[in-house]
Amino acid sequence: MAPHFGLPEFGFLLRGLQWTMLLTLVAFAGGCTAGLAVALLRTCGHKGVEWITRIYIGIFQGTPLLLQLFVVYYGLALTGLKLDAFVAVAIGFTVNASAFLGEIWRGAIQAVPRGQTEAAMALGLHYSSRMRDIVLPQAIRISLPATIGYLVQLIKGTSLAAIVGFIELARAGQIVSNQTFQPLLVFGVVGAMYFILCWPLSWWGSRMEARLALANQR
Amino acid sequence: MQDQILIEMKGVQKWYGGYQALRNVDLTVRRGEKIVLCGPSGSGKSTLIRCINRLEAIQQGSIVVNGHRLDDSIKAIDVVRQDVGMVFQSFNLFPHMTVLQNCMLAPIRARRISKVEAEATARRYLERVRIGDQAEKYPAQLSGGQQQRVAIARALCMQPKVMLFDEPTSALDPEMVKEVLDTMIGLANDGMTMICVTHEMGFARQVADRVIFMAEGQIIEEGAPDAFFRNPQHARTRQFLGEILAHH
Repeated sequence: MAPHFGLPEFGFLLRGLQWTMLLTLVAFAGGCTAGLAVALLRTCGHKGVEWITRIYIGIFQGTPLLLQLFVVYYGLALTGLKLDAFVAVAIGFTVNASAFLGEIWRGAIQAVPRGQTEAAMALGLHYSSRMRDIVLPQAIRISLPATIGYLVQLIKGTSLAAIVGFIELARAGQIVSNQTFQPLLVFGVVGAMYFILCWPLSWWGSRMEARLALANQR
Repeated sequence: MQDQILIEMKGVQKWYGGYQALRNVDLTVRRGEKIVLCGPSGSGKSTLIRCINRLEAIQQGSIVVNGHRLDDSIKAIDVVRQDVGMVFQSFNLFPHMTVLQNCMLAPIRARRISKVEAEATARRYLERVRIGDQAEKYPAQLSGGQQQRVAIARALCMQPKVMLFDEPTSALDPEMVKEVLDTMIGLANDGMTMICVTHEMGFARQVADRVIFMAEGQIIEEGAPDAFFRNPQHARTRQFLGEILAHH
């Protein structure tokens, strides 16, 4: 007889939720770091470098994430590099996130008025100080709503990791559902868990957006 | 001291693609001199001063600032920018920093002086432009005139040898023009070398040693303000003066 959905099953889902959060955290942290590099290279003023970055962004935005995960997990295994499922999907999501965040921040950097950079140059500030002290603080503020929006997409997107056998929240739900034959209840709980994670972020993001619009009106 | 040459531009040519913005410009500025640049829009006056601190690159000719020849090397650009302060039409204050932080950043980062010293310098110059009591506010909390005075103080904190003004009063409401001009007059009286792109002819009469008229990327005519306004030599200058003085 099939087990009912009880505490052990709920605990299993919670562990899946933990892996979802951990994967999101790693991918977001890695994606932010690499994405910042992408955004800076994309706006560096050197034609060749800007083109290469553009191609990089184009490839990762223009192909399915699913495919990218396959390439990292199975493709690298063929070359003799056998990665743990978590490491493989973490790499895949990080690289993918770096392309999307890089493009979001590229736009934000370019949205900072040109006069800000000119004033900084006229004051004798170097590139590193111009970016760190003047452009990036303003660009981050501009990009915050889009960045939070991407984070929400990323949380939900980590369910794709199931495809290479990584057990995160969605995959855990599928397993429990198959054992208990209570798909409505199980996926209801899974959905609620995603919602509790994502909704506050979405709410925060739109509040940021409203505040930014207000600041721009002044 | 008075005759020392601070800026020397020779045969400067500048193109934007196929459009020539500066045609064979020669300009010598001596220490302590106050120069007003005027001319119709698109005549190249802003471009000219933006070449002096290398916000724009030139394609031909030479620019020497305080004995340093400006070329494409980062070092030369650095040295020149340390000596040249600039004030913009749209203020360009850093909106995420307080007035005080706006004034302290460049001295700390580019001159590498201590925070304590930078703050003392910043407060001194903010007092001088009569805005010392607003030091902790953000730019958006100030009026346009106040913002432009902060921008002047911010440039002065780098202790430049020359100040460039790019239409500093054009973005201001009429009632705020005077406070900014008064600040500039004070600076001129203290002996600062200044090049001002402006249409404020009263200011030109009062402080300029020379008024230079530009059109189509060329210097058409220059002279002491008295002679320049009373007896302009070129038809183009007379036409321009007729147009702007009719409005004042």
